[in-house]
Amino acid sequence: MTVSSSRSGPEAASPRAAAVSVPSRARSRGWFESQTSRRLAFGYLLLAPAVLYVILLVGAPFVFSLYLAMSDANVGDTSARFVGLENFRAAFESDVFYIALRNSIGFTVVAAVFKGLLGTTLAFILLQPFWGKKFVRGLVVIPFTLPISISVLGWKWMYDSQFSVINWFLSRIGVIGAYGSAGWPVWLGEPHLALAACIMVNVWRNFPFSAIVLLAGFTSVPTEILDAARVDGTSFFQRFRHVVVPMIAPILLIGFLFDTVFTLSDLGVVYLLTQGGPANATKILPVLAYQVGIQAGALGRGAAIALFLFPLLLPLMILLLRNLKRREY
Amino acid sequence: MAGARTHRQKEIRRHIWIYGAITPYIVIAIFPIYWMAITALKQDADLYRMDQFPLWFHLPPTWKHFSYLFYSTNYGAWIVNTMNIAAWVAVITLLIGVPAGYALARLRIPGSENLGIAVFMTYLVPGIILFIPLARVVAMLGLQDSWWALVLVYPTITIPFCTWLLMGFFKTVPMEIEEAARVDGCGYLGALLRVVLPVSIPGILTAVIFAFTLSMQDFLYGLAFVAPGDQKPVTVGVPTELIRGDVYYWGSLMAAALMVGLPVAILYNFFLDRFIQGITGGVGK
Repeated sequence: MTVSSSRSGPEAASPRAAAVSVPSRARSRGWFESQTSRRLAFGYLLLAPAVLYVILLVGAPFVFSLYLAMSDANVGDTSARFVGLENFRAAFESDVFYIALRNSIGFTVVAAVFKGLLGTTLAFILLQPFWGKKFVRGLVVIPFTLPISISVLGWKWMYDSQFSVINWFLSRIGVIGAYGSAGWPVWLGEPHLALAACIMVNVWRNFPFSAIVLLAGFTSVPTEILDAARVDGTSFFQRFRHVVVPMIAPILLIGFLFDTVFTLSDLGVVYLLTQGGPANATKILPVLAYQVGIQAGALGRGAAIALFLFPLLLPLMILLLRNLKRREY
Repeated sequence: MAGARTHRQKEIRRHIWIYGAITPYIVIAIFPIYWMAITALKQDADLYRMDQFPLWFHLPPTWKHFSYLFYSTNYGAWIVNTMNIAAWVAVITLLIGVPAGYALARLRIPGSENLGIAVFMTYLVPGIILFIPLARVVAMLGLQDSWWALVLVYPTITIPFCTWLLMGFFKTVPMEIEEAARVDGCGYLGALLRVVLPVSIPGILTAVIFAFTLSMQDFLYGLAFVAPGDQKPVTVGVPTELIRGDVYYWGSLMAAALMVGLPVAILYNFFLDRFIQGITGGVGK
């Protein structure tokens, strides 16, 4: 890197000085070394608070959660006994855990498919130049920028068992009967519908994110490269396949990974809509961990359940890390 | 002349196609918000009926739901809590994130690239893995019954992100002006305080906005760490305290939700591109 730029002061003068007298050269090197160590000391000093904060409130809690997961810690009971892998074994032996694991994975996969479809098509439209584009873009990203607990409330009202506005429309166009008839969907009260309803909120909230990430990817492709490829006589699809896709793939991957991590670990949507019900139909791992760990007070059990998310998240994070590093250098 | 007209017609046709294609997306994105807004402004007698077109008023709109919030609930207190939390989180994030971002960008610490990525990666460690041990930490510090608990834990989200953002930002500040300051006799600290910070105000403001909007996106920590009704931040207070049993006060719920949600959404909107640049690692490139 630009090591030379910082030496432009006395250090740059030192070779010339060396030709004249030895003592001056020695002094100059000493000066430079003390500058370097001073710079590094200053740097570590500036960095220390951030590193400490992260170690104390992210690193230590993570290690602590490993410990909790292997103990019978409870809320209100300060003495925790070491129980080894008992909490994990208990999780594996409970049906609810399997339901939650299956729901978590199913939720994430199905939602990702819909977000991908909606996001990609939206990005292609927003790629065109048109009048009022900035404003339109501002409108379609609102679901993503609205605080999550706020927008879920709106959806909860839209899913109301009686006054659901969705049902009002469906009823008007004749897809379902009137209120009270057998076909009237109770969105949050029927197992399959409830899961679909939760997925719908996640898709609604995050499809603009997919679109914007994709757009950022497209606009990061320099037009010169595309022009050069065009001059070389390539077709649109060749350019797309061999120029655009390889260039935006890293950004897309990062966007996809972020979205997956946040979807897998999101508690808000399901907790506020259904609390995991009816009959565990929408139980996902974060909700189960919260209910066991905080509501029931079994910290150890809850920590063990939450940690099951870690093997799901770890490969994603490693992929992301590698991707970021490649972009960095 | 004729050429110009056909060009214009072509443009108009193209716009019709584009607007036609984008309209469904706008409707999907905006409808829930419209529905919340009209619910917040309807009288109850207009709200809970099924025989009329629900998307418009049939009785005059009312501010009743809004005034109910301020007179009969803790809504005002929640907003104050949220503002306090946001201000403290922003201050802590800046005090810690600015020096760290600067050190990583400028002071050529060995392995600073890896360190930067390591700090950023902690942004991705989800709260759901940390909230149970953090609950213990919060209890040990005696903070479990006040919003100060959130001042302690929200920086775990904002510091990694803002440090990363500021690091990218400091990289774009020309090295020369800093060196000039040092030649003029400033130390490293002097150069940072007198020269680099003043030209970095846009980046610092961006970090403040994110400290605010990212802590507003949280639900889990607020739910798990703050129990007393009057200590909750608004994003947790509204969904947990305004819903009582099976009786929903939908009008006031929607009023409460929109009054905080929309300003945050609009603010965040303006900085969304920065957020995307930040997470895709393209800051300052």
